[in-house]
Amino acid sequence: MEENRRASFSFNLEKQIPLLFVLPCLIVLLAVSVFPFLYSLWLSFSKWELGMGQRSPTFAWFSNYARLFSDDRFWGSMENMAEVLVFGVGAQLLIGLGVALLLNRPFRGRSWITTLFLLPMMICPVVVGCNWKMIYHYSYGPLNHILGLIGVEGGLNWLGSSDLALPSIIIADTWEWMPFVMIVLLAGLQSIPVELYEAAKVDGASRWQVFWYITLPSLKTIIIIVVLIRLMDTFKLFDLVTLLTQGGPASASETISYFNYLTGFKFFNMGYAAALAYIQLAIIIIIASVFLRFLKKEEGG
Amino acid sequence: MKRTILKMFIGVALMGCLILGTTSSFGAEVVTLTVIGDAGHNLKPFEWYAPIFKEEFGVELKVIGVPFGELYEKEKIEFVAQTGAFDICIVYPKYIGDFAGAGYLMNLDEYAGKLSPAMDDVAPGYRDFYCKVGGSLYAVPFDGDVLSLYFRKDLLENAEEKAAFKKEFGYDLKAPATWDEHVEVAKFFTRKAGEKLAGETLKTPFYGTAFYGQRDQIYAWWGNRFASMGGVYFDEETMKPAINSKAGVDALENMKAVVPYCPPDVLAYGYEELKDIFLNGDAAMVVQWPCVGKKGADPNQSKIVGKVGLAPVPGVKKDGEIYSRAMMPCGRILSIPADAKHPWKAYQVIQWLTVVSSTADVSTPLTGLDPYRISHFETPEAFEMFPTGEDAKIYLAGIKANMSSGYPEPPIPGSMEYIDALAVDITRALQGEKSAQQALDDAAAEWENITERFGRERQQKLYQGLVAGWREAGLWE
Repeated sequence: MEENRRASFSFNLEKQIPLLFVLPCLIVLLAVSVFPFLYSLWLSFSKWELGMGQRSPTFAWFSNYARLFSDDRFWGSMENMAEVLVFGVGAQLLIGLGVALLLNRPFRGRSWITTLFLLPMMICPVVVGCNWKMIYHYSYGPLNHILGLIGVEGGLNWLGSSDLALPSIIIADTWEWMPFVMIVLLAGLQSIPVELYEAAKVDGASRWQVFWYITLPSLKTIIIIVVLIRLMDTFKLFDLVTLLTQGGPASASETISYFNYLTGFKFFNMGYAAALAYIQLAIIIIIASVFLRFLKKEEGG
Repeated sequence: MKRTILKMFIGVALMGCLILGTTSSFGAEVVTLTVIGDAGHNLKPFEWYAPIFKEEFGVELKVIGVPFGELYEKEKIEFVAQTGAFDICIVYPKYIGDFAGAGYLMNLDEYAGKLSPAMDDVAPGYRDFYCKVGGSLYAVPFDGDVLSLYFRKDLLENAEEKAAFKKEFGYDLKAPATWDEHVEVAKFFTRKAGEKLAGETLKTPFYGTAFYGQRDQIYAWWGNRFASMGGVYFDEETMKPAINSKAGVDALENMKAVVPYCPPDVLAYGYEELKDIFLNGDAAMVVQWPCVGKKGADPNQSKIVGKVGLAPVPGVKKDGEIYSRAMMPCGRILSIPADAKHPWKAYQVIQWLTVVSSTADVSTPLTGLDPYRISHFETPEAFEMFPTGEDAKIYLAGIKANMSSGYPEPPIPGSMEYIDALAVDITRALQGEKSAQQALDDAAAEWENITERFGRERQQKLYQGLVAGWREAGLWE
């Protein structure tokens, strides 16, 4: 009898031990990840105006999501975001690929130049913002000085005009993150077997044909991954907007993350800010799903 | 027995040491108070007088500095969560209605009765707009910001320029007294590189004026015009926005008229850019905060030392008189949270800072604090950074004049949201995306949404309370 009980106890303990090992991690995950996720989801269906001293949230059904549809600032910030994603990430990919192709050739000092190209990525984003603010300065900035030397009299109003404020942010973001795209693609280029190029040479393929039929298809998977990473990262673009334009002039360069920050931490409209965050999350999930489906297809192929 | 007595003696001695170690020389318990404010030189007085606070009030201070733009949210979050994290708060005055209205700040009337903060000595605008809510005292002043017109007196006194101005506009060149004159003086002084200014050939363009173009404060530069033209934020009876009134539209049209005489990137201008363009000698005049006057007298920060003049912000002519109102953006006041643990001790500290040390603190270049007391304006000798006593007098007289015609920011809950919505549409009008009327109509519609969300009745009650107090003080028509 006693033996049976002991056997059953040790059997149970054996069963529970893995759970005990996992438990601390589980508690931390629940506390810092799952709970905030669920709480903010609930908040997105609530009204919680800290600005008016409302001490606790009240359930408000879909009112926050409904408000999004009539909020011009929201749609404006989405439009700006789309512009940054298309032109910013697009430029990073094109320039990054071009530089990676150049650096993939053997030449003297290649490793030094590669390291130099990586420097912008290593600089703290706040410092990048401050530097670009000086570069773009209308009266004292070096960029307008150079433009003046090549005949653009007076230079360009980089940060003070609605037409150029967002492109200025895109340029600074491209400068900072193109090296990341470049280094990943360079690694991809270096992993393409040399035999493929040799075979193409024997077959008499032109440079363009080699690029189009060998290099690009071989890089496809890496391109999908790097673009996905940059898209997700760019969606969070906040630091450069804050430092360069604060979303202005008017709301010409207001990105969705900056608008979300204003709503949550300046206007203290917590329910609406949570709804905005979930809309962003939904968009990122959709984009990621499309890219991952492509990736799966490529891998399958 | 001997051992027991010895133990008791050691015990009593240790307790004595402990008590002595935690008390000041005057025998009271030393408590630690937490102070929060925007980081930088404006927190210096809390460090300078720490030994005095310990000696006099039995207080040690733990000072927390946060970035300028984040002070409001840091305070708000702690107030809402009722953490009691702070004992003394530097508050931007535009949030006093928000904080006091929600019950986050302590009513200081009772303490003021015991230990006077000498509010009669405070410039009326500052005292009644920014320290009181509903007639009760919720804060004491610490930094007296008001906008003033700074101009290049060397240029305005230049005989050649004076003659040319009179020929073009038919009246004498002087610091502009009206907003229309402001546009004309700005137009007159705007020159391209290569043209002459006061007999010298310009190497870089020279601008008539500039203004704060970034979103957080641009409304105040429109507000100077709006207030002078008789504008008010809301209709007291209905709480409907009144920013799209004739005064609002005229103010925006006037602001638009001056844009061609500003640097092309003026809409990207914040405090630093606006200060620099004037102190670098690249603009004829700017409307700015008082610290620009002090910095303009410092050869390390200014290329125009001795050339800075100061005047009331322009206004409009009414019955032959100039009527002008100067916005009072920013500023700093000292408040005690309602959940502070040692409110009386905290009050003693802020009373000291606003009464005893304030003249020294606002007159030193080591802080960015600006004068706000009548006694400050009457102590030009304390402002040693000016090259002459006469310059100090001109500076103080100008600030005093502007403060006496001060106009408040909208200090009701949601002020940040109201201001942001207004700023966005002001900028759109200045860029030509919308007409002045359309822009202000859109801003007014957004203000209506905000008022609805915050509760019209609640907002109206607060606004009416504030206005009643201002009216009683003779600051509101």
